[in-house]
Amino acid sequence: MVKMSLEPVQVMSGQVAELKVAPSSNGDSAGSWEGKREFDKDHLGLTAKPKPVTGRRARKVEGGVFFPKPENAVTVAVSSRVLFRTEREQRVFEQQGVEEYLRYQIEHENEPFAPGPAFPFVKALEAVNARLRELYPQSEELFDIVLVTYNHAHVGIRLINTINHHNLFIERFCMTGGSSPIGYLKAWQTNLYLSADANKVREALTEGIAAATMFMPEKMTEVSESQLRVAFDGDAVLFSDESERIFKAHGLDKFFEHEKENEDRLLDHGPLKGFLEALGKLQKKFYAKGQRLDCPIRTYLVTARSAASSGIRALKTLRAWGLEIDEALFLAGAPKGPMLEKIRPHIYFDDQMFHIEGAAEMGTIAAHVPYGIAQKHNSKHNTSAGK
Amino acid sequence: MSEIKPNDKGSSEESAEEQDWAAAKAAFDNLKSNKPRPPKPKNAVTIAVSSRTLFNMKAERKIFEEEGLEKYVAFQQEHENEPLKPGPAFPFVKALMNVNTQLRELYPDNEELFDIVLMTNNHAQVGVRLINSINHYDLTIERFCMTGGKSPIGYLKAYLTNLYLSKSADKVIQAIDEGIAAATMFTPDTEQELSNTQLRVAFDGDAVLFSDESEIIVKQHGLDSFFEHEKHFENKPLAQGPLKCFLEALGKLQRKFYAKNERLNCPIRTFLVTARSAASSGARVLKTLRSWGLEIDEALFLAGAPKGPLLQKIRPHIFFDDQMFHIEGATELGTISAHVPYGIGQKYHKGKLIEQPKKKE
Repeated sequence: MVKMSLEPVQVMSGQVAELKVAPSSNGDSAGSWEGKREFDKDHLGLTAKPKPVTGRRARKVEGGVFFPKPENAVTVAVSSRVLFRTEREQRVFEQQGVEEYLRYQIEHENEPFAPGPAFPFVKALEAVNARLRELYPQSEELFDIVLVTYNHAHVGIRLINTINHHNLFIERFCMTGGSSPIGYLKAWQTNLYLSADANKVREALTEGIAAATMFMPEKMTEVSESQLRVAFDGDAVLFSDESERIFKAHGLDKFFEHEKENEDRLLDHGPLKGFLEALGKLQKKFYAKGQRLDCPIRTYLVTARSAASSGIRALKTLRAWGLEIDEALFLAGAPKGPMLEKIRPHIYFDDQMFHIEGAAEMGTIAAHVPYGIAQKHNSKHNTSAGK
Repeated sequence: MSEIKPNDKGSSEESAEEQDWAAAKAAFDNLKSNKPRPPKPKNAVTIAVSSRTLFNMKAERKIFEEEGLEKYVAFQQEHENEPLKPGPAFPFVKALMNVNTQLRELYPDNEELFDIVLMTNNHAQVGVRLINSINHYDLTIERFCMTGGKSPIGYLKAYLTNLYLSKSADKVIQAIDEGIAAATMFTPDTEQELSNTQLRVAFDGDAVLFSDESEIIVKQHGLDSFFEHEKHFENKPLAQGPLKCFLEALGKLQRKFYAKNERLNCPIRTFLVTARSAASSGARVLKTLRSWGLEIDEALFLAGAPKGPLLQKIRPHIFFDDQMFHIEGATELGTISAHVPYGIGQKYHKGKLIEQPKKKE
């Protein structure tokens, strides 16, 4: 018969008293956490000292699905640098090293970060989740946001404080303390990974995970709080870069010819097709409940293609994949910036830095997908310019 | 070692004696470098393993259970020269030896190393086969306790054991009751390739590193009360759990590497893999670890997601958890797991109270 007591067993109680905090990386002695010295096992009431946890109320998570299984949910993994603005801390890290960085973070633990480029996107995902829960209370097909960061666990508290300050619902964390987070992305069945680091994004793309590098625009235009708007470029984002190759190698006329000839042949899929598919799946849940006009997810295709000469292939491909796109803009080379400014997407995916920069100048939150021939072409262009 | 007195004998005799002395010293030094001496228990981090966790003894165990002790001992004696196959704790032990080698390089005379003791119920006759197997794999296990049926708990205490791994849940429960970190090991269904340069240890949070106080609230009052409670007591450290001291011992050795500027290449890496939710209940955990002066290298807050896939990516040499549900999920995907039979989690399976049939005492 096993005797199991319900009191928390004070295991190895004899040895607990003396815990020398070694002069280790966090450099924290009494610093930022008041009340640490006061803990007293028997004193169960509130001790007067500890700083009051911010005026938020604790989350209510019963009576709804708040922790969907990764395989059912649309998992979006964000890094701490795109969710919040951490330029100052980043500078401390680069100039003064990791120990100083950790010390700085711990010192400023109770100061929340400012929102970063992915912040409005994440807020919009939560708004969609709220609507989905209303319509389908038992369903696990929701957005699930995971924070995947290189950061060390010491920074975790500041991140948690910031998340609570802004009232976000991000409960899943992977703090990898320096090792690559890419392995964990697959374990989370990530549908989209957003990071500030182009190398990590490239690694994720080679592993088959939709990913993009986010940039902070100079000014952020106001975006809708009730409707998630996602804009995609066509070639090398939703579709493969095969057409782009022909265009870059042989010019516009050859490109038009090729597209006309192959009108009925589907384009190959690109890195973000899976994410559009996931959005479409959730959109259909709203349509099923008669909410097409009111759907809180709206998708846009913003492509430099020319409609009459090369548009059909794109539209037929989407149709064949069973994917709908709400609005399609064929620009035939016109600048994307002004259009995007009118659309006001929460995020815009493009493979060419030229377009990303144009969008950011006008306040659109843009994310670069480092895929396809445009990357090589850009670098070639740059190196020749540099010579 | 008596000093050589400056003697006033003839020079030839002197040189002969000195030569002898030099030869003897050389022989002794050679002796020292080939097989490093095991450290004293009070300085070392002592890990006690049982023979069934170190080696795969399924077939032999069957013979013991079906045919009795005599047949079992006879079988073992017959097969004395056949080394046993590796068991679930084998990669863990190999990794520990690896860390020892690196520690010896950095701190040649230091005794703060891992020390592995074989603590087994087995009969002394089986010892020969165990020794042969240990030598076959080139393990350095010099300390044995073959208790021939008696309880090993007394010996565990005498060795100042920091961690005890066994296949027998009863012994593990006894050890935990006595205040020794212990866990029951399970063999994974599939084999995974593990790092042979870095020891990776993964811990669950509640009822393993911390006490089960929070677990009790979840099971009895639900998630909302739990979040409310955790927010309220965010700054009050959790009480410690059975494996906290083992994490502490690992941290002590990690700091030795950091001191020699080997933080990035540290051959010990610790992981926290908890079902807690980060924003709602994670701060208390991180603050508690900090108050204990303990660091953990990677922290994964799963908020209820299954642990199996993430552990598969981590590839720890051992993963400690208090709930069989998680152990099963982990072993299915190839992670070597160890169950810590502590706390209220033992009375539940997959969130439901296990019906305890009325037992006659």
